[in-house]
Amino acid sequence: MSEYFGVKVEDIFNTMQERFRPEGAQGVDASFGYDITGEGKWKLTVKYEKMVLEKTDDLSGCAVVTITDGETFVGVNIGKVDGTSAFSSGKFKVEGDLGALGKTAKMFRKYTPPKKEMSVRDYLLDMFGTVETRFRPASAEGINVVFGFDLGGEYGGQWSVVIKDKTCKVLEKIEGKPTAKLEFVDAKDYVDLSLGKIDAQSLLAAARAAVAGDINLVMKWAEFFEKYVDPMASGEKEQELLVLKKTISVNQRYATGPVMGKFLHALINKKIMGTKCPQCGRIQLPAREVCSECRVRSDEWVEVGPKGQVRYMDYVYYSSPDPLTGETRETPYGMISIRLDGCTGNQTFAHLIRRDQVDRVQSGWNEMSGTRVRPVWNEKRTGSIFDIEYFEIDE
Amino acid sequence: MAHRKKNRNVGIIGIGQTKYSSHREDVNQPEMIHEAVRAALDDAGLSLEDIDCVVHGNMELFEMINQPDLWHVIGTGAYGKSEFRVTTGGTVGATIACVSDNLVASGMYDIVMAIGFEKLQEGHTTGGITNMADPLWFRNLQTGALTGSTAYNVIREFGEERAKRASLMYRIIMDKHAGLNLNAHRSFGLEFEQIDDLIKNSPKLVGDLKLIEMCSQSDGACAVIFACEKKAKESLKKPVWIRDHITVHREETFTIFGYDEKYPITHTHSLAAKRLYERNNITKPLEYFDVFEMYDPASWWGLDWLRDFFLLEGDEHLKLVENKEIMIGGKMPINPSGGVIGSNPIGATALVRVAEAALQVRGDAGKHQIPTPVNHALASGFGGTMWTVLLMLEKELNW
Repeated sequence: MSEYFGVKVEDIFNTMQERFRPEGAQGVDASFGYDITGEGKWKLTVKYEKMVLEKTDDLSGCAVVTITDGETFVGVNIGKVDGTSAFSSGKFKVEGDLGALGKTAKMFRKYTPPKKEMSVRDYLLDMFGTVETRFRPASAEGINVVFGFDLGGEYGGQWSVVIKDKTCKVLEKIEGKPTAKLEFVDAKDYVDLSLGKIDAQSLLAAARAAVAGDINLVMKWAEFFEKYVDPMASGEKEQELLVLKKTISVNQRYATGPVMGKFLHALINKKIMGTKCPQCGRIQLPAREVCSECRVRSDEWVEVGPKGQVRYMDYVYYSSPDPLTGETRETPYGMISIRLDGCTGNQTFAHLIRRDQVDRVQSGWNEMSGTRVRPVWNEKRTGSIFDIEYFEIDE
Repeated sequence: MAHRKKNRNVGIIGIGQTKYSSHREDVNQPEMIHEAVRAALDDAGLSLEDIDCVVHGNMELFEMINQPDLWHVIGTGAYGKSEFRVTTGGTVGATIACVSDNLVASGMYDIVMAIGFEKLQEGHTTGGITNMADPLWFRNLQTGALTGSTAYNVIREFGEERAKRASLMYRIIMDKHAGLNLNAHRSFGLEFEQIDDLIKNSPKLVGDLKLIEMCSQSDGACAVIFACEKKAKESLKKPVWIRDHITVHREETFTIFGYDEKYPITHTHSLAAKRLYERNNITKPLEYFDVFEMYDPASWWGLDWLRDFFLLEGDEHLKLVENKEIMIGGKMPINPSGGVIGSNPIGATALVRVAEAALQVRGDAGKHQIPTPVNHALASGFGGTMWTVLLMLEKELNW
């Protein structure tokens, strides 16, 4: 028995019973013959919404007999060969009532070849085996990097994907220190991630995967390589699902109003000015028009700082892309709440600490002072938050 | 604070949720919303003809669609009806529940459907959140909703080991709850034995806030139908009554935690709880309520906020977690649904808290139904720079 498109003629006939649709056979009372060159003859009888199939050389009494070769028969059944052109070209011959043959289409669900299972190992070999063909040289102008894959578990292994001079090469090992190294506890998770069955954040959160080295590079993988296509996925989509990509970029202009305007102007002159509530006495930084708690105008101006103490620092390890610029801040960095001299209690001011000092900052609490800091003023001041580049330890 | 009794009683008569997912690319927004709308109508035994008014909520900047209710009308069924759009940040789902309750209680409408949705996969969550900050100043510093300050405070108060273990204990309980909820998508099958390993190995985001402790980003929708007492009593399912709700708002500035005990900061959660219980004569909330669906964006916050919401003192809240009293079957089950850490389609998230609390009262929560009777339930919303919406649900009209 030969295979055509991976399917045997027998497969089509042997699955007829399970593909039979009684609702499509209403009112049919006929026999249908199939004469497949070199394969044999079959007789299908349909009556009372039931079917009987026999392999027989006697096709007498059939309303219609189909005569064709195995390749055309299988091809038409699985949609690989166009029935009309096969009929027109004489590869697919019909003797008897052509109209009766048309009824068989409604009587059976379409034949779908059974899926073969691919193991985790099969997928890994296929994924890394297709990396070089999926490489987009145009995207790798001036890129000279090595991705390392350290995939654990029974079927895992180590691979390197080297991009250099707009070429790509895959090695089944990791040498030296890759620019970015992806480590998966279980190689199956990597396969599932590549097939879109699980998301990266979940794997990272559960500590089932980790990235060492340049994490931004990992996020560019999709620019360098075409998406991996699952060879097991059905070639025909049942629905047309697309994802349309849009990028919105708009210029915005925000009026400061006179109070925030005065605050920002003071920065140009290296002064930090707050507004004080006449009722509760709290100083707000940056300056605010009113004290929302007391619902009164805060119209007394006080100069504070510029030095102060850190009351709290957010030590940021994970930086998502800054939506204002699209850039990712370098990590780790520290965002600090500073109590500037002249302020009390929780009257704090938020800014950044000098990045190389992030590990030396202590937060204050109650009477205990936090690390003392001073502003580093920008040479060119325009009246913005970054007139102060950052704060640094006052030592 | 001025507060008046309701003009008439309001009950929840229909609840519908989609399955939550990290990505729903198989449907567009109105199709996804319609799944929840359909489920809520089926639950109530109603058709769209019966709905007098629709209240639609999410955050426009997450998907960058202005007036999304226009496109969504094919999924919401609001064509030709009254419709209101609401956006209040993370609280929006709870706010649309309050708005719907008010619209029915006022006598303006007999049946109102609240719809909260989000498809976070279609936009930029951090971008949306950052754009809530004052553009003149803080927007330049903020990146999204991450802060390690609560972890820092809990560690400072209770010591590093106890605090970190309690946060992970809370997290794993949520993971176990989410595993029982067919709609929740983020459940890893974590076990308590993994606490030390996760403390050590889960990547740090900010300070001692680790990736495993932070909520997910999800796609999904929730619809809840509110009806006046007369209509509610005629409905298919036994109604769940909205007894009362409260909102406490805040300002934009981010000094919200406080670093000096001499200068206490207003905590909106405890303020909301205190006011709500006082006006409803509830002196022991931990005894009174049978279940609490809390908007817990991270396990540190869930842990810390137990103290605020139940007006507890000292380490009572830690003990509740350490003794697993917050688990299904415990003294005060928190988030039998798995909470926000299990699924978080932000515009729907706070409405899901109300919906899940109502399902518990009705006894219809399925595998995550708590085993003891639920007569009184609490649901919270959280958003912006710490503001609070808190709702009380009752099984009987007897307060």
